[in-house]
Amino acid sequence: MTDRQRIAVVGLGTVHDAPPGTSQRMMAAEAARLAIADAGLSISDIDGALDLRRSGGGGDRSTYSDVFTRVLGLPAQFYFTVGRGGAVAGLATAVATGFLDRGLANYVVCVGAVDDYTKAQLTKKQGQRGMAHVEKEGYWGKALGDLRAVSHHSWMASRHMAEYGTTSEQLGAIAVAQRAWACMNPEARMYGRPITIADHQASPLVAEPYHLLDISQISDGAVAFVLTTEDRARDCAQKPVYVQGQGFGEVAADLWWEKKNYTTMAVAPAKQKAFAQAGLSGVEDLDVVQLYDCFTAEVLFQLEDYGFCEKGEGGKWVEAGHTAPGGTVPLNTGGGLLSNKHLGDLTGFSEAVLQLRGQAGERQVPDCEVALTTGHGGELVSPGLCSIHTSTILGVA
Amino acid sequence: MTTETTETTERRWNKPLPNIDLDNKAFWDGLRDHQLLLWTCSTCGTQYWPKCYCIKHENEPYAQNMSWQPGSGRGKIFALNRHHWAFHPGFQDELPYIYALIELDEGPLISTTIVGKQPTDLVSAVGEPVQIVYEDYAELGFTIPRFELIDA
Ligand SMILES: [Zn+2]
Repeated sequence: MTDRQRIAVVGLGTVHDAPPGTSQRMMAAEAARLAIADAGLSISDIDGALDLRRSGGGGDRSTYSDVFTRVLGLPAQFYFTVGRGGAVAGLATAVATGFLDRGLANYVVCVGAVDDYTKAQLTKKQGQRGMAHVEKEGYWGKALGDLRAVSHHSWMASRHMAEYGTTSEQLGAIAVAQRAWACMNPEARMYGRPITIADHQASPLVAEPYHLLDISQISDGAVAFVLTTEDRARDCAQKPVYVQGQGFGEVAADLWWEKKNYTTMAVAPAKQKAFAQAGLSGVEDLDVVQLYDCFTAEVLFQLEDYGFCEKGEGGKWVEAGHTAPGGTVPLNTGGGLLSNKHLGDLTGFSEAVLQLRGQAGERQVPDCEVALTTGHGGELVSPGLCSIHTSTILGVA
Repeated sequence: MTTETTETTERRWNKPLPNIDLDNKAFWDGLRDHQLLLWTCSTCGTQYWPKCYCIKHENEPYAQNMSWQPGSGRGKIFALNRHHWAFHPGFQDELPYIYALIELDEGPLISTTIVGKQPTDLVSAVGEPVQIVYEDYAELGFTIPRFELIDA
């Protein structure tokens, strides 16, 4: 171990439902304002800001670029974008850790905002369906009918089905379990709307094998969190949530010859580093788990890759109810991207913080001290899939 | 003249245009000649798609030890889906369409839609042999690669 201080999450701000007509930059600024206040800090304390986006530059979500800090009046000494899709929470935490650790900042606010729902309503009028985000010009599949994440992520589900006999109903079990968690989260989009496997099977086929209920929510909203060093964290208003371990995996280099990454993710190196740093011996040491869940099969792969069950056994394992409320592994306890909201890829990270602080209401996991949060994202390497995996262990001990 | 071309374009190709750039222009030229070109290492013979450096050894500058060489155009379905929603109005007429990831006999993966006889069951279609068919859009200057099921 080093003698460096640990880094802690001290503030959390979430915008669930902005008034109609609210811009992304205003949602980002508002989430940051809430997070700073939550930490018991003032705006003038914040000397660094990271803007978390789907892509690093030139892509979407550019509408609030370089302005949310000014909108809020943050005296940040640095401000830039971190963009790797679903991996942004883990990456931003690592980047901010570097600045805090080297004394380049005392408090860093990280913010992600989305207006996908509003955009989807607009594009629907133009004859398009689903999220407004369309794969970029340079992407191979665009002319061939591959226009949305579901157009290629559903390959992973079909491949797992072919290799291991996984069924659509088993993927549905993941959606059903998360919906049950969402029904204990009043902030969730699908609060009060439980579903069954039959509902999953009856939901429209979008890109088969994926039904509509295999796909994450299209949302408006924002999440912000404030990071600082351990000594400063002790003076903040909330119980500090420490970054206990971090790790990353990247499969972009493997795509042409290592074809197993259509049924696995780059979990192995990420898990190894994060668990070792946190001093965990295995998944049995985790109290709560927030796995990135853009689609149901991603959850299945991670359950297998982290070792909650054997490779290929994920379908049967989730069918047995392990991830549902009352099961052995509290998974995506706020409802996740599937049933809560897709809040700028930070839904799971924010839920982990709430659970560790003991602020998760009816769905609170008892004695919750260690959480795993993961991310999945990155550029699409033709003809490939999001390549990065991030593993972040948060804890209060 | 300009007006006519535009009308022809709208009638025959109402989808996003393919991305033809510096690295893949030769590949698209090959498709126009009805050849599926693979990026091939002259040192060890390993074939890639799209263009990249050979990972098996140190390369010459700009991967000059590699070139585009014709592949067999045959492979098998590695993974697939069936789109029931059109995410762009241009694909409405094709619904439902099978979008498949093809593992070429030479090793690389490539993706496009399956034309002709359609697989009925997605799971049993994995591993089915396929070959390339060429869909010409001569007036637009490109050829779209599609794949069809063949007998093993
Ligand atoms: Zn070579």
